[in-house]
Amino acid sequence: MARTKRSKFLLAGVAIVAAASLVAGCSTSSASSDGASTGEPKTGGTLTYLEHQPHTGLYPPTAGFYPNGGLVNNITDRLVYQNPESLKFEPWIATSWKVNDDATEYTFKLRDGVTFSDGSPLDATVVAKNFDLYGSGDPKRALIVSEAINNYDRSEVVDSSTVKFHFTRPSPGFLQATSTINSGLLSSKTLDRKFEDYGAGNSKDIIGSGPFVITDEKVGTELTLAARKDYDWAPPSAEHQGRAYLDTIKLIVTPEDSVRVGSLVAGQADVVRNVEAQDEKQVEAKGLEVYAPQTKGVNNSLNLRFRHPFLSDLKVRQALVAGTNRQEVVDTIYSPKYPLATSALSKSAEGYKDQSAHLAYDPDKAAQLLDAAGWKAGSDGIREKNGKKLTLVVNEAAPQPRSFEALTLISQQWKKIGVDLKILKADAGTYAEAILDKDQVQVYHSMVGRADPDVIKSQFYSKNRNTLLNFEAKSNSVGDKKLEKLLEGVAGEPDEKKRIANDQAVQDYLAEQSYVIPLFEEPQVYGAANHVKGLGFESVARPSFYGVWLDK
Amino acid sequence: MSYVFRRVGQAVIVLLAAFTGAFILLQALPGDAIMIKFENPELGLSADQIQNIRLSYGIDTPLVIQYVHTLAGFITGDFGYSINSGTAVRSLLAEVLPQTARLAVLGFLAAALLAVGIAFASTFSRFGWLRKFLRNLPSLFISVPVFWLGIMLIQIFSFKLGLIPAVGAGPAQALILPVATLAVPIAAPLAQVLTRSIDEINAQPFIAVVQAKGAPPGWILWRNVAKNAVLPTLTIAGVLFGELIAGAVVTETVFGRAGIGRLTEQAVASQDTPVLQAIVILSASVFVLVNLTVDLLYPLLDPRLKTKVGAAT
Repeated sequence: MARTKRSKFLLAGVAIVAAASLVAGCSTSSASSDGASTGEPKTGGTLTYLEHQPHTGLYPPTAGFYPNGGLVNNITDRLVYQNPESLKFEPWIATSWKVNDDATEYTFKLRDGVTFSDGSPLDATVVAKNFDLYGSGDPKRALIVSEAINNYDRSEVVDSSTVKFHFTRPSPGFLQATSTINSGLLSSKTLDRKFEDYGAGNSKDIIGSGPFVITDEKVGTELTLAARKDYDWAPPSAEHQGRAYLDTIKLIVTPEDSVRVGSLVAGQADVVRNVEAQDEKQVEAKGLEVYAPQTKGVNNSLNLRFRHPFLSDLKVRQALVAGTNRQEVVDTIYSPKYPLATSALSKSAEGYKDQSAHLAYDPDKAAQLLDAAGWKAGSDGIREKNGKKLTLVVNEAAPQPRSFEALTLISQQWKKIGVDLKILKADAGTYAEAILDKDQVQVYHSMVGRADPDVIKSQFYSKNRNTLLNFEAKSNSVGDKKLEKLLEGVAGEPDEKKRIANDQAVQDYLAEQSYVIPLFEEPQVYGAANHVKGLGFESVARPSFYGVWLDK
Repeated sequence: MSYVFRRVGQAVIVLLAAFTGAFILLQALPGDAIMIKFENPELGLSADQIQNIRLSYGIDTPLVIQYVHTLAGFITGDFGYSINSGTAVRSLLAEVLPQTARLAVLGFLAAALLAVGIAFASTFSRFGWLRKFLRNLPSLFISVPVFWLGIMLIQIFSFKLGLIPAVGAGPAQALILPVATLAVPIAAPLAQVLTRSIDEINAQPFIAVVQAKGAPPGWILWRNVAKNAVLPTLTIAGVLFGELIAGAVVTETVFGRAGIGRLTEQAVASQDTPVLQAIVILSASVFVLVNLTVDLLYPLLDPRLKTKVGAAT
């Protein structure tokens, strides 16, 4: 007997909607600071938005790349809305949903009257088709599986407004998965396209049901988005309903940092993405807004690949943690918008548990630990054991802010405890090979944002990102089976409370084993002119222009 | 006529060699675009899933067949698809080529004007200090990093003075600063070569003869000096084409313009083989074409070369 969660969810939903409208009121006004409540929103106008990189494609499972995600978020709707403040789930295209006890069956009731921008209806059939593709992928068309969907089996169209999904094993993260941009709903015709047909140059033909439609594209440099005048299916909890306020958004790719920030400061652009930490002051000095929404997932961290002989010794890993002055890194390289990390997960992530006790800076202790592990200082200050120097390689994580600067500082800190850290800067091919090989890269710099406990599994599980290289292809073996089991406990546990407990057990284990050195909680930093009101962000910081209006 | 045929035949051989060289080099590099794109841990795909995608891309096809297939595609004008974005390479090139062509041609014209201006003024100005200053200008120009110059021009003319918007300018307006940025480093070697040629020709006895006959300086400049000085300058102009493309990479990035330079930079970053292959062939074609044109122009400019060529054929 499957216990119905619907009534519980509905009740919660009503309460959340009520609370959310209050929260949303406060949060948007605090987020967009002084001016949000000073005037009535105005309809019309063009917003100039400067992107840092050109987008590569609009197939939603590849929307993790920020330029892709920023577009998908504005041209598609999702089944379920995840409130970016509370991280709770609210109705959107689905008016209600039921989950069976072991989280292997999800049933969604759909809203009536929703259409894609090509006029086709958003009904159960097309929703089923969306998730069949995202859940299973289609290698023949080079369309990948969505990282967010686990154990997908099949869909079932119950009636025109009811769709049911079946899973081979419990898939407690699925509800959140339906809310992410990786699950943006596309029209049936769009889903028939090949990978090639989602690429740049085809953007006008990618049809969603979202508040904006791409109307023009100059490959690699410019996109125009226009508001859909008949849009009327925003999440019921959203403060704003109906069509978007803006008429058009002009997205211009401006790769050079100083030009992007300069254009904003000079009043030529309205919103820019990727304001570097060192440029924040310039923007703030002009009285402009700096937004730094959090990515709420696995923190920006150094992952210690414990299957490498140097790092297989717990004492060595503990020494590296103790020898890293994380506070200095945050203070020197970043800004107060980049809070010091206190666990593998971000404070604003669901299931976060403080691990500060394991992360204290103590160079003396680090030196003692290395001594105890048998690493003795050589003539050049670098420690040696059995004739081998304690040299480690870390990758420069190009997509992340100021990776090279941060790593340079850390290599100086490690030198003080006798550890030589080399930074790998290489061409794309060499890099792609090196990061998958523990003999080439022993310390892996990375992060991942997703507002669900599953995120920790995404990062460390052998069949996902496998950042610790716990699974090794060469020997086809898993090094730490306990870690694997703990991670499976996060992704496969249908009971929410137990799932959170399992998530915390993973964080405890990572900290006890000194597998990761968390650095900071990563934000996405945007700058905006003062006349831009109502700028919103989804749960992992992709911009939402639906509620934006121009006060000028 | 047979001279022209032979030159065209040589050009085709050069292009085939460039194609083969690029194919082999791109295959020899560590990694490939499919690996870089799909094995990227950020997509979180399992090894089986990646293997399936690789197979769908025909990664198990023998290299020789891949080579023949790609070559056949190129001959019929099908350059394949970008692995990074999936866009047809042909449409990527169609989008960026006119942009770069406009920038390059205008940049080159501006550079030529600037170079001629500097060279003439530095040889014929009546003020010694001006001549000295102008003669040093090319060395200054050549040592200015294009990157820095572009940013400076934007900072001054767009952000400080507000004369030209850095974003959202009209198509003509948007060309002014990039063309200026590109023209400076190209003008420098042109001006240097031109100045030296003028000096050398001025020192030739026939100039003294013309002067003695009472020709005015302007007449000498146009009829005698310029005509003779232009030949070495034309040679260097052909070589400068490479510089032009390199300058375009930086200029296009700084000014956020679409173009072949920026496309190249992005394709290199993701090792997007089909795009790179097409760019190599395209650059080789243009290079061959420019040199062919310069070679065919020589005999028209210098009658002595015409007889030599005639004798050789």
